[in-house]
Amino acid sequence: HAALSRRYVLCEVVSEDPRCRQCIEDRAVGLAVRDAIARVHGDYGLACCSISFTVKYLNAYTGTVLLRCRKDSYRLLCSALPFVRYLDSRAQRYPCFLNTLHVGGTIRTCQKFLIQYNRTQLLRLLQNCTNDEERQCIQKSLLSCSLTEEQSQSGEEEEDDGTE
Amino acid sequence: ARPGGAGMATAAFERRVLRRAAEHHYLRVRLELPDGGARPNAAQFKQLVVTALRELHGEVGAALPVDVLTYEEKTLSAILRVISSGLVKLWSALTLLGFYQNKRCAFRVLQTSPFLLALSGNSRELVLD
Repeated sequence: HAALSRRYVLCEVVSEDPRCRQCIEDRAVGLAVRDAIARVHGDYGLACCSISFTVKYLNAYTGTVLLRCRKDSYRLLCSALPFVRYLDSRAQRYPCFLNTLHVGGTIRTCQKFLIQYNRTQLLRLLQNCTNDEERQCIQKSLLSCSLTEEQSQSGEEEEDDGTE
Repeated sequence: ARPGGAGMATAAFERRVLRRAAEHHYLRVRLELPDGGARPNAAQFKQLVVTALRELHGEVGAALPVDVLTYEEKTLSAILRVISSGLVKLWSALTLLGFYQNKRCAFRVLQTSPFLLALSGNSRELVLD
């Protein structure tokens, strides 16, 4: 059971160009990451990390990417992520960089982290609003999030915990 | 420390064992070019070693501190020095290098030691008269 340990690396794609969002798809991101590993760690590193390597989850709106790799080679993967400088898709290339948010042993821990992270990000966006219209928009989506949450998390209390 | 026997005034004996304490490892290597072709000079030889590291281990491998201490163009043999933590990367990269200027080549590692002095003698080529 422990013999096939994997690591899940959660990162976000940050770009100055808003058109970069359309490049965020699993094939483009996977190729960019593998190319970076090949440049930084060579044939050996590429082969090591390619075992069980896949893009598990992608969110083009927030730029969140979840990568999976073997536990033995997650350090090679993490050290190569800063060397991704652009994403290629459909003959378009946009400069960007990957910000590593969290490394977890299971998808569930990464999901928990992502939920918490998204909450704090929403609050930060609210604080950095430049005009009233944006503020209204974000407030509306914040409130609608808390209403549709299922299980034990009661929206209002969690919002208070998440203030910075 | 192993003290002397009771009642005898012997000198104290102490043994210190240092494991993997050497900073560098030294390799005596020879480049074989079975198909002939241009022989590399010292700079080209170093470039070849760094290229081998870059192919197998990427930019991180190519940045490994490797020095060519001596090089003989006639016999294509050299003494390389590498930081101890990089020995496996260097040796594997030399093993897997197959081509120099589109001609087949092979690196033969003749001797390796954490001490440079140990490379001066080679019991394999010892001739007993």
